[in-house]
Amino acid sequence: MASPCSECRAKLETPLACGDCGVLMEVPNGPGAAQPTPFELLALETAMAIDPEMAKKRLRRYTRLVHPDFYAMAGDEQRARAEAHNARLNAAYDLVIDDMARADWLVLHLGGPTEKELGAMPQSFLMEVMEWNEILEENAPGSQCLANLTEELRQHRDGLMGSVTAALTPLPEAGAPVLQDVRKLLNALRYVDRALARATGAAAAH
Amino acid sequence: MGYIELDVLDNQPKRVVIGIDLGTTNSLPAIWKDGRPEVLRIEGEPALVPSVVHVRNDGTAIVGRTARAQALDDPEHTIHSVKRFMGQSLSDVDPAVLDRLPYSVTETDRGLVQINVHDKSFSPQELSALILREVAAQASVAMGGAEIMSAVITVPAYFDDAQRQATRDAARLAGIEVLRIVNEPTAASLAYGLDQRKEGNVAVFDLGGGTFDVSILSIEDGIFQVLSTNGDTHLGGDDVDAVLMDMIRQEAEGSAKPSTFDDPSYRQGARLASEKAKIALSSKPEAELVLSLPEFGVNVRKRITREEFDAAITPLVDRSIKSCAQALEDAGLETKDIDEVVLVGGSTRIPLVRAQVEQFFGRTPHTELNPDEVVALGAAAQAEILMGGSRDILLMDVTPLSLGLETVGGAAEKLVQRNSRIPCSITEGFTTYVDGQTAIEFHVLQGEREMAADCRSLGRFKLTGIPPMPAGLAKVGVKFHLDADGILTVTAKEESSGQTASIEVKPSHGLTEEEVDVMLQQSFDNAKRDFEERRRVDLIAEIGTMLRHTEANLDVAREHLDRESVEDLEEAIAAAKAAGKSIELDEVQAARDVLDRATIPLAAVLMDGVVKQAVAGKKLGDV
Repeated sequence: MASPCSECRAKLETPLACGDCGVLMEVPNGPGAAQPTPFELLALETAMAIDPEMAKKRLRRYTRLVHPDFYAMAGDEQRARAEAHNARLNAAYDLVIDDMARADWLVLHLGGPTEKELGAMPQSFLMEVMEWNEILEENAPGSQCLANLTEELRQHRDGLMGSVTAALTPLPEAGAPVLQDVRKLLNALRYVDRALARATGAAAAH
Repeated sequence: MGYIELDVLDNQPKRVVIGIDLGTTNSLPAIWKDGRPEVLRIEGEPALVPSVVHVRNDGTAIVGRTARAQALDDPEHTIHSVKRFMGQSLSDVDPAVLDRLPYSVTETDRGLVQINVHDKSFSPQELSALILREVAAQASVAMGGAEIMSAVITVPAYFDDAQRQATRDAARLAGIEVLRIVNEPTAASLAYGLDQRKEGNVAVFDLGGGTFDVSILSIEDGIFQVLSTNGDTHLGGDDVDAVLMDMIRQEAEGSAKPSTFDDPSYRQGARLASEKAKIALSSKPEAELVLSLPEFGVNVRKRITREEFDAAITPLVDRSIKSCAQALEDAGLETKDIDEVVLVGGSTRIPLVRAQVEQFFGRTPHTELNPDEVVALGAAAQAEILMGGSRDILLMDVTPLSLGLETVGGAAEKLVQRNSRIPCSITEGFTTYVDGQTAIEFHVLQGEREMAADCRSLGRFKLTGIPPMPAGLAKVGVKFHLDADGILTVTAKEESSGQTASIEVKPSHGLTEEEVDVMLQQSFDNAKRDFEERRRVDLIAEIGTMLRHTEANLDVAREHLDRESVEDLEEAIAAAKAAGKSIELDEVQAARDVLDRATIPLAAVLMDGVVKQAVAGKKLGDV
């Protein structure tokens, strides 16, 4: 990566556009083309631990370069490119800022297993999930029971995500066995997040 | 008038782009001038166009103030609040709303709302186009005749795809290029931010004539980033009027005949009386609902106090506050994080609304900017950005509602979450589930509900031309792209074969491409007809003048001209008199031309006489 600007040869921060001359770069598209990664698009180090404030700053800075508002008079082709670039940038930020999406992407990027490959969960964990579901079904929104469960789930989540971050920091080698462990943690996290959404969603509704 | 700037190089008028607030009750143009947005004015008054269309007996339409003046005299043919029907099916509309309308609303064979006036039916888009055209005309007058070709048009942030598309179609029908559709609260925040030069988290509470929006924004370094938005496209001043209309009806019920309440005159009268009392209650502790229609046995004079009014509209205000809570939660903020609250829309003049907003956010809302003008001002500022005038300011907006597809079980699978930043693209993979399947049907949905049936149907499309292969092998990528206007485009392709597949989209609530084309053609035809009609009337007037002049000098002609010329003239006069009653432009034009030619010899004689008279008694050198 890090090819210079096609117009003024300045060093590029983001592969989407040149911060010096403001020209929108051509970004490879279509199957087989090597697409810039979400981290590259935002000029962030590829890592599990990120600085959300920095990510937000980069989003805003690069949106200033690619937002279609600035290409309204530039003709259809440039306008379409700005639309596509801005959409890419938005997608990159959404992925980078979301811990689950970020971890999932890193595992796949490093050649680790997919969600389905390690989809089978241990019996003991599934029993736990069933207990949460029971509490979710039997208790009225706003009840103390649900509040307790929400707190428990939050702590559970923090613990699991802490393990994920630790395992991915520093970033393991491609294909490292630890990626298997991370995938298992992420699969467990999906159950926790689903229960958490039900618990807080139930609390928020009406 | 200093608005038309000339480009020195090619001496062409510069492209004029205005901002238009296309409101439920009023519409208003604004423009960027001397480094700031300003409302366009005619003789010092804002070039405000009431969003009212009146259709006369002869089928011609008038728009704005003169149309609104017909509301009581001809309620059946005077259309207000058409914005509420944009992109809607009749089944989307609350039947109670229809029961209060003085004009007739039915559905097309596709179930879309149509408004019936005399024996013609109009789509909401066509009526909105008439309003937009009038706004552009007023703007043009305000700018000394500059032609308005392009505009930034605002819509409620909570408008769904069909409603946005309908707005775009209306502009197309009006012959206006839409540079951008901007969300009203976002536009308002832009005008506010530019005016007050403040930064931080801002809540914009926009309660207009027919729609309600709340947006939470972060303003930082000239970037206006919308964090979340919420609202209700059927909540506004019209609903407050409806509460008072119901009170009038209760009072009248005893004495009036039951059929009274279906009568357009009653409905319009009750609506206007309610509106009047509502406005009075914003500044006075009590008001009177007065409606006197002796022909129906209606004689209502009901005193209503602010307390009674507040109690009656509390459910409406509560709905808006609930939206505020949801918007805050979606933004990940609490009320203490909000630095400023900005009020937009005429309905925020209602004291209860102000009090509730203040109580909810725990701070006094901003009211420095005129709530009726701030949206148009923001639209003009956005027009300036789009024209390349400023790169310091940037709007980052979001889509108000989630987008998805119906799955096999009838559930709604969300591909784009609400409050996603736009523009935005998501591609999702699909495959066939029957051997040899060559087509897949998709049902595009918008909304937050779990089941497809509870979401808004945006359209169905069918991907055909998938090469036959065993089930599960085809790889179809469906791409949702939301552009900066918040309008969705869906594309799909089969990737494993490289064969092109084609898509056929059927909008559920919008006009099809062909319908827009037909309407455009009709509006051209109408414009042509209008032009021809005016030309015919002008010609008949011209013939009249020519006839008067010719007949007055007929004796002179008989005296001085040869017989043939006199006969020609007499024939031409007879033909011109007949043509004066003709409705065919061609006939009138021909008769006028014949008369014109036949009068040439007479004109020469008369001219001669004039010259002789003029030079009589003068020496040649004086001439």
